[in-house]
Amino acid sequence: MNVAEKPVIAPESLIGQRIQKKDAPEKAAGKTRYIQDMIVPGVLHAKILRSSRVHAKIKSIDTSAAKALPGVHVVLTAADVPDQQPIGVARDHLPLKGERVRSLRDEIAAVAADSEEIAEAALRLIRVEYEDLPIVATPEDAIKPGAPLIHPVPLAADGQPKALPPKTPIAFAGKPDNIAMRFDYTHGDVAQAEAESDVVVEDTFQLHYVTHCCMGVSGVIAEFDASGNLLMYSNTQVPFLHKREFAEYLNIDPSRVRIIQPPIGGGFGSKLDIYPFEVICIFLARAAKRPVKMVFTREEEFLASPTRQPVLLTLRSGCKKDGTLTFRQVHTLHDNGAYTSWGATTPFVMMQTFSSLYRVPACDYHTTVVYTNNPYAGSFRGYGNLQATFAIEQHMDMLAEKIGMDPLNFRIKNAQDAGEVTGQGMSFKSCGFKECLTTAAERSDYRKKHADNLANRDAPGPVKRGIGMASMLHVGGGAKIYPSDGCGTILKLDDFANVTLITGASEIGQGSETVLSQLVCEELGLPISAVTVVNNDTAITPWDVGVHASRTTFIAGNSAIGAARKAKAKILAAAAKKHGCDEAMLDLRGGFVVVAETGEPVVELARLMRNLHFSDKAELVMTTFYYEPPSVHQDKGFKGDVSAAYAWATQVVEVEVDTDTGIVKMTKVTGTHDVGRVLNRLGLEGQIEGGVVMGQGYALTENLIVENGVTRNPNFRDYKLVTAPEIPEMDITFVESMDGEGPQGAKGVGEAPSICIAAAAANAIYNATGVRIFGLPFTPEAVYRALRGKAEKPNWQAWKSA
Amino acid sequence: MTAIERYAAPQSLDEALGILQQGEVTILAGGTDLMPQTKAGRVAFKPTLMNIGRVAGLKGVTLDGQHLRIGALTTISELLRDPLVAQHAPVLAEACDHFASDQIRNAGTLGGNINNASPAGDTLVPLIVLDTEVELASKPNGSVATRRMPLAEFFTGPGRTKRNANELLTAVRIPLPKPGHVARFYKFGTRPALDISTISIGIAGVMRDGTLTNTRVAFGAVAPTPVRAPRTEAALEGRRLDAGAIEAAADAARDEVNPIDDIRASAWYRKELIHNMTKRMLDHVAQA
Repeated sequence: MNVAEKPVIAPESLIGQRIQKKDAPEKAAGKTRYIQDMIVPGVLHAKILRSSRVHAKIKSIDTSAAKALPGVHVVLTAADVPDQQPIGVARDHLPLKGERVRSLRDEIAAVAADSEEIAEAALRLIRVEYEDLPIVATPEDAIKPGAPLIHPVPLAADGQPKALPPKTPIAFAGKPDNIAMRFDYTHGDVAQAEAESDVVVEDTFQLHYVTHCCMGVSGVIAEFDASGNLLMYSNTQVPFLHKREFAEYLNIDPSRVRIIQPPIGGGFGSKLDIYPFEVICIFLARAAKRPVKMVFTREEEFLASPTRQPVLLTLRSGCKKDGTLTFRQVHTLHDNGAYTSWGATTPFVMMQTFSSLYRVPACDYHTTVVYTNNPYAGSFRGYGNLQATFAIEQHMDMLAEKIGMDPLNFRIKNAQDAGEVTGQGMSFKSCGFKECLTTAAERSDYRKKHADNLANRDAPGPVKRGIGMASMLHVGGGAKIYPSDGCGTILKLDDFANVTLITGASEIGQGSETVLSQLVCEELGLPISAVTVVNNDTAITPWDVGVHASRTTFIAGNSAIGAARKAKAKILAAAAKKHGCDEAMLDLRGGFVVVAETGEPVVELARLMRNLHFSDKAELVMTTFYYEPPSVHQDKGFKGDVSAAYAWATQVVEVEVDTDTGIVKMTKVTGTHDVGRVLNRLGLEGQIEGGVVMGQGYALTENLIVENGVTRNPNFRDYKLVTAPEIPEMDITFVESMDGEGPQGAKGVGEAPSICIAAAAANAIYNATGVRIFGLPFTPEAVYRALRGKAEKPNWQAWKSA
Repeated sequence: MTAIERYAAPQSLDEALGILQQGEVTILAGGTDLMPQTKAGRVAFKPTLMNIGRVAGLKGVTLDGQHLRIGALTTISELLRDPLVAQHAPVLAEACDHFASDQIRNAGTLGGNINNASPAGDTLVPLIVLDTEVELASKPNGSVATRRMPLAEFFTGPGRTKRNANELLTAVRIPLPKPGHVARFYKFGTRPALDISTISIGIAGVMRDGTLTNTRVAFGAVAPTPVRAPRTEAALEGRRLDAGAIEAAADAARDEVNPIDDIRASAWYRKELIHNMTKRMLDHVAQA
């Protein structure tokens, strides 16, 4: 472009614009190549034989017929990999089970063959003899005295517990009881606070199994090169942590493990842990000396990928007549399933909601996580917060009703403000909670509708209308659950002023590539199209601790801005030198170096970049930046400012309840989110809408039915995702609290939109019908039973003392 | 793995019946039930797989004297759009509007839905209350023979019918409605699309001066086959459709069905739905 044609360039901002996701055209055209589409020369196809018994000893495994099948290259059982090490949060999980199966998903053998069909045929030829053990089907049963043990301590020949070195993992050392983990947190004096309360309510809530239902099922390709270096094509959300774990696992140097992530067809937390299938695929590749690919069937995805954590939760809450909250006391029983994954650690998040969503002087929180023979739970968008919020926000309505206070006023009275430090040590530097409450209430006409619905409860006609609200607090500036919560960026400008942004942050469909590009372009005055993002190869990208905790925009965003600002400084210095002006006066706009005050162009950026490259004293613009948020690890009592910022939201749900059938139709969701600042408005709206629908599924339709250890509905016919005609009208607005630490003021939002829906729906059903339902999901039959007084109220007395 | 030894795609009915007569044939029409059932191992392929999609004359809706004749290969989507169905059997079109998804409606056929003989088959209940007959053709002795049977008598169990192995269901015949004819269909699923019936209800009859005659009531998903409900019909037949009659009929409906507990619903809830929705449908008929 001729400089003379464009005398002045006005400042423009990309922040808050609606920007199409960079990967949208490929995905919409069906051209994205997922792991399912990848063809690796010489690849073998793998399948896993899973247990046909819920809980049993394995008497024998006969793989001889499978090994003899033409086209079969490798058949492995636990006996073939004596070096296997346990995986998982509690190191209680051996990938291949040799002596005992503890759930129906358990892996007994694996086959690598020329085709999937041959591998499947080989599985059918494997003979396994079992000796059944009594099934522990519920966490209540698991903590009863004398309950069968899921991980019994192995006995020596003399009948005494085997002598094992200290710190032997649970997978080898066992557990003398079925308790996998405990969490105990307290602040304030609960007994005294209860004594000072005018009103106390106590209820038990039952939260069910759901699963992520990623459109892309789990899959991995593993191969070793001639030097024994491992290359994995993996859908993981935490490539750097996995690289280290796989290296430890194989007892090789981590530099010899490389993880490449193909485009990932959905994560939502499901790909945050190492799973047996990944390790087994590595074993097969090692044994076959060929690349091995393993992709789940949809049924397998339902049976053997993690679930959301099911929880039995008793909440006791109190307040004074003037509406001041006094205390909360919480006991939860978490069904761990047979092995421990991240689901067991959801109390980290749950206790934050109980202790800090509202100002509460005293809070006492206890979780017992127990082994059963059920599927095991992993991390899932919201990480325990849906469960906690379901209980808390119903109690907020119940307390308000008991003291005769408007439920909105009751919430406003107890809501957090900026500047508060909670009993758990969370410091709210930006907080738009009250504005979320009032905005969502006003936009939905909450007060009037709430009153009208109450008045119309007994009007004729089977369909009753209801409105309910719920709010949430979630980390919005990362979460320091590891020693590091950082992310690195490498930024390069080429000789045409195109940018390569190399970031540790993984894209799992959440739109990180787009928002990171936007933040970089905001600094460099370039269009989004100028950026290529490289984010999927541990051999290239810098360190990051993974996609979780709604952290990517905040952490990777700050990291990208840091690298871009360094690049900008270099560019302006070079321009100043070349054109003999003061770099402090210069800025980057519209692809030009300009005089900041006037907008007068100094030089086209592409031209400057070419000059910097094509010279015998070439000076390239390549920068790096590492961002570590100013958050701290929690202490042993779970106290500390674990996130650099906190996100807030209020969602109002409107329903129609057909009292003849129990069908709950969600008609409208009004949501107001404190996101710090809107960066990509289109991406943000998409994230919220998708999250609302996920919350709707959790509330109304989705239910992984597990009976006596058996998953009864491992298919989309009977596991009911929300379909298009059920999606409610949505009114989504944003509070911009401009967080001081956030990238351009923004805070994380990835998990937030799913969290409130079930709680708000429960309050809406109560507003419509006068019936309060304490268990999820609100399927037609469950609601109908509750309306007819036939719901079984969860009971907690049996396990409270456990 | 598959045991298919031969694939046949006959062009004429005569040819298709000849292949059937040889025995051991799996019939493929839309494939929307057959494919998932064979994949799941619930149905085994016979040695001959016969695709009847190209057989001439098995598709389309025509008027045949005092009957509406619907060819077995007519797809659910075609029924949904067909003007003759809209005019003479709108309740069938309504059922088609609650049938699975567009993709399945485009492939799935009426004959397939009938022969699959699911107790929850979406078209079966409305067809039964319309006094539909099925038309079965065979070629036992070298020439084509046809017989007819009321659809209400056609089903013998889940996935089982009175169709002989050498017979092909070629069409259904629905008598044209008499003056005053009313028909209603209700399907309960937990969501508005892509769901298997928890229960379904069909009600038909002739409504004159507030009184229902020629009453037909049928229920789906409450028994091993779709069933007529004789006691509910008796409670309504010839009676003025007032609140008392409606309540009595709804009570009779709840008492005469004998559903099971499964993962979709409990027997108790199914009976409640049968009662409540039979009542709601009859209220609508009375108010119309």
